[in-house]
Amino acid sequence: MLSENEVLRIENLSIQFGGLKAVDNLNFEIKQNEIFGLIGPNGAGKTTVFNCITQFYKPNQGSIYFRTKDGQVENLVKHKVHEIIRLGLVRTFQNVELVRELSILDNVLIGAHIDFKSTIVEQALRLPRARNEEKALREEAEMILRKLGIWERKDMIAFGQPYGILKKVEFARTLMCRPSLIILDEPAAGLNDVETAQLSEMIRTIRDEFNCSVLLVEHDMRLVMDVCDRICAISFGKFLAKGTPKEIQTNPVVQQAYLGTTEEDEHE
Amino acid sequence: MSHKEKKTSEKNFRTYIRNPYLQFIAFGLILLIVPTLASNFRFFKVGYITTIGVSLIYAIAALGLNVLLGWSGLISLGTAGFMGLASYLSAYITINMGLPFEVAMFAAVLIPTIIGILVGLISLKIEGLYLAIATLAVSEVLRKSFEEFEWLTNGFSGKAASYPTLFGFIQLDRASMYYFIVFVLIIVMLITYNIVNGQIGRALNAMRGSEAAAQAMGVNLLRYRLIAFAMATIFAAVSGVLYVHFIRYSYPSSWSLKLSLDFLAMIVIGGLRSIYGTVLGAFIVFAVPDMFLKQIPYFNQISYSLNGLLIILVIMFYPNGLVYIFKDIRNVWRKVIGKGKVKHVVRK
Repeated sequence: MLSENEVLRIENLSIQFGGLKAVDNLNFEIKQNEIFGLIGPNGAGKTTVFNCITQFYKPNQGSIYFRTKDGQVENLVKHKVHEIIRLGLVRTFQNVELVRELSILDNVLIGAHIDFKSTIVEQALRLPRARNEEKALREEAEMILRKLGIWERKDMIAFGQPYGILKKVEFARTLMCRPSLIILDEPAAGLNDVETAQLSEMIRTIRDEFNCSVLLVEHDMRLVMDVCDRICAISFGKFLAKGTPKEIQTNPVVQQAYLGTTEEDEHE
Repeated sequence: MSHKEKKTSEKNFRTYIRNPYLQFIAFGLILLIVPTLASNFRFFKVGYITTIGVSLIYAIAALGLNVLLGWSGLISLGTAGFMGLASYLSAYITINMGLPFEVAMFAAVLIPTIIGILVGLISLKIEGLYLAIATLAVSEVLRKSFEEFEWLTNGFSGKAASYPTLFGFIQLDRASMYYFIVFVLIIVMLITYNIVNGQIGRALNAMRGSEAAAQAMGVNLLRYRLIAFAMATIFAAVSGVLYVHFIRYSYPSSWSLKLSLDFLAMIVIGGLRSIYGTVLGAFIVFAVPDMFLKQIPYFNQISYSLNGLLIILVIMFYPNGLVYIFKDIRNVWRKVIGKGKVKHVVRK
């Protein structure tokens, strides 16, 4: 199912919307501490794969094996959306889904939702366990914010913060659950060149400091080629190629999919 | 006292007045003392105690609605129905069954809460305006039943109740019932504060912000929608119980759509996601026309229309709730005394 150094393996993944095969028999695997890129032209099915892994969509066929935080192997397809994070797999959103009215620190603490053990009554009355938990997780959140360099802003409201900061807050939120795999949904969207360069630096920092793997679903080739250890290219839901950034860049099939041939032009 | 000591004691004092729990307790004490003194010294009519008491009772139900709408982003137009149901149940259990007030309170809160949780189940399937209509339907069904089930509600003639006896030996009258209301309100405010500033509150906030993001963070939507609806109904039911034992009557016409809309107005005017704002809103919607606008000569006939005008003005100038007026006042004050440290109001 899952060999020693792998954290995620997708086997024969297929999903169909009506007559459209959005993902067709896809296979790939992500190793531990690897930054893995999933690329493809518009409409290739990248986001669909993403949503299948995080269980927002239920695939028609195939398995998604994942090594959880405790080292067990689970088939994600058997889990509900809100259970995925408990296993140690967490995602970000393309257009940064934070709560505008909450402070940055509170937004990060949303990421610790699953770590709270105290009951409603304990929280309503602020009994010792609820208080201690809140305090400990608050400290952890501050620690993460410090590592990402935005601790000074912890008490500011998320609304009105620069986009780059919000992205960092979202990263901080994913790190709260001590994940073994983070999936980033087009993190470079809306960033300028400088910010994209900072982003690749941050993705590496996250991998090294928090000891996790990263799956990058991305449009921006500069970022993908810069930061990824390995890349899987897909087009129209089908597997095209897999390999290091160099190999992918020189792969004729990938080039064809991106630059198009006369046949592909008709499709678009 | 040396200079240093003076500074630390000042600092201690500051941390005390900034402590939210002490603030709630101070707020409760003000609510207890001011109306009592005012009526003792004939600043206003004794009857105003009833008006203030009822607006505080409404504030409890409005706090529940604020948890639902403000924090969780779920709308309900059923608050009045649940409040009414609790009021009839409590009256029936104490008067007809002769059971103690505590038992009545428990049962009269439990039964509406079960119905409220069922509505929460429905809310997973329908959203927004449709949820508003569905909750409105529940409320109207309840109101219609208040007219029909005469064995429980005494129909249009209204159901009578008495001031409660606490623990079997503390017989309350109007003044002490008012104290009891303030006590319950402060407890409800404290619980709301704890809930909305902890894990549950953050989950509710996340759910309002984006359901997809909330789920990705491990928030079980069903569970948290049920929690929100349960809290809203519990608060509405508590408020219904207090109402019937304070006014000592419950009529079907009291629990109409108008009251549900009033609750909505209270939290929008006072401040969405603001605990003090909710109380302020209840006061403006319910007590202000009665206590102040009626006093204006020549205008006493149209005090409720004036209140409508006031509401429009509030929404125009304080769209996030009148509670923000205090921050503006504080800033003006700081400017006047020249501290120069003007904190900018963050509009939520």
